[in-house]
Amino acid sequence: MKQIINFDNSATSFPKPPGVRSAVSEAVSRYGGNPGRSGHKLSMRVSQKIFNVRNRAAEMFAAQPENVAFTPNCTFAVNMAVKGIMQYGGHMIISDYEHNAVSRPVYALSQMRGVEYSIAHVTDSDEETVRNFERLIKANTKCICCTAASNVTGRILPYRQIAQLCKSKGICFIADCAQACGLLDISLDDGINFICTSGHKSLYGPTGTGLLITDGEYALSTIIEGGTGATSSELAQTPFLPERLESGTINTVGIIGLGEGLNFVRTKTVNRIFTHESQLCSQFIEGIKNVPGIKIYRSDCKHVPIVSFNIGDENSQQVASWLSDRGFALRGGLQCAALAHNTLGTISQGTVRFSPSAFNSRQQVHALIDAVRAY
Amino acid sequence: MMGKYLIAMTSITYAMKAKSLLNDSRIYCEIQRTPENIGSGCGYSLRIHDEPDKIIALLDGFNIPHKDAYEYK
Repeated sequence: MKQIINFDNSATSFPKPPGVRSAVSEAVSRYGGNPGRSGHKLSMRVSQKIFNVRNRAAEMFAAQPENVAFTPNCTFAVNMAVKGIMQYGGHMIISDYEHNAVSRPVYALSQMRGVEYSIAHVTDSDEETVRNFERLIKANTKCICCTAASNVTGRILPYRQIAQLCKSKGICFIADCAQACGLLDISLDDGINFICTSGHKSLYGPTGTGLLITDGEYALSTIIEGGTGATSSELAQTPFLPERLESGTINTVGIIGLGEGLNFVRTKTVNRIFTHESQLCSQFIEGIKNVPGIKIYRSDCKHVPIVSFNIGDENSQQVASWLSDRGFALRGGLQCAALAHNTLGTISQGTVRFSPSAFNSRQQVHALIDAVRAY
Repeated sequence: MMGKYLIAMTSITYAMKAKSLLNDSRIYCEIQRTPENIGSGCGYSLRIHDEPDKIIALLDGFNIPHKDAYEYK
């Protein structure tokens, strides 16, 4: 089989670091107990292992370990945070760059719970973008929830300034950090109340992993209740974190793998990974910018290493499929972010998205450039 | 008080956190299931060898929630 070069790492990173692969294998063969459910050695052994990963994530994002909840993915984390804050109604603000992980739960809340929401326009100016959020704040605004970095263009939103705005207005700030964690030095120290992230993208864990991390300032209503291994005699859901948000058996194998992903990022460092991938993006842009009809969806703003492009009016899925036939994995279409594509004016065409990882090389990008030129 | 004691914890996570911080302070402890006659429902306790008052003061200093201490038999 011809080797596939993966440039779709914003969907999920692949390959995974060797340490992740061996940790997953070891988890299956050695860590077979259910954490936090029993006192026997199998359970205690895996409980310790899970706590170690929780602690590692806490250190990375400036949290207390008990304020780190494991989720199946970022979408779950966003749903838990948004619905946990907005369960009893009120007004909230999102941006016009959101992934469906944000826009759909917010829309669902508006339909089922009467939640009002407004959409702030993201411009090329950070200051103007923050002002656009600010002018939408109302007396009953409970939270702002927005992406830290767009999964379509890579545009980094001014999340620190938005956090400051939220703090000054006494409202909660939930950040969708799926494309930011592992690439930006983002943490609760930035003033974010809830960091939602996947574990399987730039944190290099296995699929089926995500994190919901809080500074503890806002209590969350739960959207899932059940067995937590704590307060079992009571009908009411366990009141304290992280167990409150972790009903049912957690993904021990995935979380143990994620622990090694976090180690990988910590060892390589966020700055070095960001620099490497950004250089690959610059190389890619330089290599394709003169292709006839090329459209590259970038501005002078700061970006995480993602490049969206189109070739003339060609359907983006068709271009991605053509590249796939030549051994390159890129994502065409809407990337589950209809709002962002409406904003970009690409809702009917979509875009082809190039998203490298720490494992991609300049040679691989060079080969892709040749392929795009040959289209 | 002499002998071994249990300090009932609110969760496995807090028990793990407490164990880690106590170990950093060179205080050895183990985590075990809270016996039925002590706790209600599922729970974990720190099994300690030192005076519980001293350990509880440390846990309070670390802002780690806990329940009562019991003599372990």
